[in-house]
Amino acid sequence: MSEQGDKIGANEERKWPTKTEFTPEMLEEMEKLLPGTLNRVVTASLSGCIHCGMCSDACHYSVSIPEDKTLVPAYKADRFRKWYKSRYDWMAQVFPSFVGAKKLDKELADEMYDKLWGGCTMCRRCTFNCPMGVDYGMMVRAARSIMQKVGRVPQHLQDTVDTHYNAGNNMAVPQDEFVETIEWIEEELQDEEGCENFKIPVDQKGAQYFLTLNPREPKYYPLTIQATAKVLNAAGVDFTISSRYWDLTNYALFNGNDPDAKQFALWQAEDVKRLGCEYLLAGECGHGFRALRWELPNWVGGVPFKITSVMELMAKLVLEGRIKTDKSVWDGHRATYHDSCNIARSGGVTEEPRIVIRAAIKDFVEMEHNRYDSYCCGGGGGALAMPEFTPRRLAAGKIKADEIKATGADICLQSCHNCTDQLKEIIEHYHVNAKVMNLAELLAPALVL
Amino acid sequence: MENNVSHALYILQEPVQYLALSFMALMYIIKIRQMLKKPIPPEKAELKGDRVTGAVESLANVLKPWSMESTRNNMFFYAEFMIFHIAVALTIGATFFIPLVPSLMTPAVSKVFMLFMGLAFLIGLRRIHRRLTVPEIKIISSPDDYFAISLMTVFFAVGFVAMWMWISGSPDTGWMWIFFLLTTFFLLYVPFSKISHYILYPFGRVNFGRTFGGRGVIHRDVKKQTWNPK
Repeated sequence: MSEQGDKIGANEERKWPTKTEFTPEMLEEMEKLLPGTLNRVVTASLSGCIHCGMCSDACHYSVSIPEDKTLVPAYKADRFRKWYKSRYDWMAQVFPSFVGAKKLDKELADEMYDKLWGGCTMCRRCTFNCPMGVDYGMMVRAARSIMQKVGRVPQHLQDTVDTHYNAGNNMAVPQDEFVETIEWIEEELQDEEGCENFKIPVDQKGAQYFLTLNPREPKYYPLTIQATAKVLNAAGVDFTISSRYWDLTNYALFNGNDPDAKQFALWQAEDVKRLGCEYLLAGECGHGFRALRWELPNWVGGVPFKITSVMELMAKLVLEGRIKTDKSVWDGHRATYHDSCNIARSGGVTEEPRIVIRAAIKDFVEMEHNRYDSYCCGGGGGALAMPEFTPRRLAAGKIKADEIKATGADICLQSCHNCTDQLKEIIEHYHVNAKVMNLAELLAPALVL
Repeated sequence: MENNVSHALYILQEPVQYLALSFMALMYIIKIRQMLKKPIPPEKAELKGDRVTGAVESLANVLKPWSMESTRNNMFFYAEFMIFHIAVALTIGATFFIPLVPSLMTPAVSKVFMLFMGLAFLIGLRRIHRRLTVPEIKIISSPDDYFAISLMTVFFAVGFVAMWMWISGSPDTGWMWIFFLLTTFFLLYVPFSKISHYILYPFGRVNFGRTFGGRGVIHRDVKKQTWNPK
């Protein structure tokens, strides 16, 4: 493991050997890998589907692209289930086709690739609508894990994980460049009225909160960091950003590679311990929040610090009266909020963003499906890192675009960078007149300093 | 003929049924044991809710149609589901009550059983039709799905007629014989079919409840909120 002063990221460079198609050797290897992925949740999910079809209205793919029935969740999951049944279903050992079982061959593996990488964002909306409690998220991740291990993984997604592995963050932002960017953002923040004394501390030992960021923020969205820092400073929050493992993303959650996921989590956990912070604070990032809040402790076997998110912290600051706001700055605007799947359904954070929003703007309207019922925008599950499936991803975003449009809102709020990019794309694609913003960007201008 | 039917019915009702039932129990024990041997994913994160309460709530999900959008927006479908499954319980119950406590099967009780069997038969026909005609259901259906629902539908029809003969004062009929023959077949066949989903239901629901109960998604424990204003 890297120590302070050591190279950030893995000591040895790696490029995962990816393949463009399944070979007989890969299929053979997949057969060997299958038993190792079958924990109780995955097994119950593979054997528990009764083909009732209740999931068909729950999926943004099948709802937005109704003409393609192969996008129904049960059908997609059956690409994996057919293989599982051929190995483990009792009846399938005698009458495989009777129960829909099928030996793993290239055709079935290709279908798995198409449907489980490019036709599912692991948003778990179908899981929440399944009478049997089938966990599609876990099941699809298990299938992806097997395919990834043999090299059949979308190239760009794997590149993102490899970059994180090699550089310690998924956009290979060098340490000195990152620190310079933070210093520049701090100067910009201090130029704002009333913010002259605001700071963005880097590597401050003993700070209460260890703020993590999505690499897209220092790269493309520095104003998001500025807005978050403004809110934290205004409330007098004691926070710091690490110059080392500040990236909260973990795309190994999407490609199913547990050793990598664990490695990224370990780096971050060690960095929090290095700075002696009380809280690991997830920035506004859906899968990043879930990876830190709910998966990191499992990957590393427990942690000696607490984990929370900027969404929850900002709500706490509002409720405790530590920040004052003037909602009139947003007069003339109407906002709606998109619940990121990893923050709401898989993360349990639904009310906190609404506390923040109501503190900042008067006109807030919910989409038809919200909180745990919210449709995935289509950008989850690593979908944005799979350009080969872009047309389907945009088509699957129709239901979300329609719901945003129906609110009449000109601001679409969210707390996730994958959602940001997807929402921006579908808003343009479906001609919705709304600007995409995150919570800190809404709250910061409304602060009374 | 009457004596032949009675003798065959006795064999079906008593020794064959018990043997078949024992076989089914053995298969289920193996199935459950296999599932219990699978590792449970760890949960070491600080919880926001209670995993046990979540599991209990999730198990009771079947009684809370409002808890899922898929049932909330399809209450007629849910009502059909409930009637169908109550009918399953009653029909199986009838195969125990008739040979073991026939006095329980009074005409009034039998008519209630028949009502559910009759409704379940009609629902079964509707489900077969749905599976054959609704594209998103048809595409996910296997022969096992068609066979299971057809078998259940026939079971309800035969049970209905057998019960009708029962309350008409003709208990030992060919219909009753078929009814028990089907029951025996069920006991032997179900562990290998999708009909055994009720064995998997607790696993799926408990997994769901533990995961999302602990995360505060279901049965949220406000005291454990990180933003608790108190």
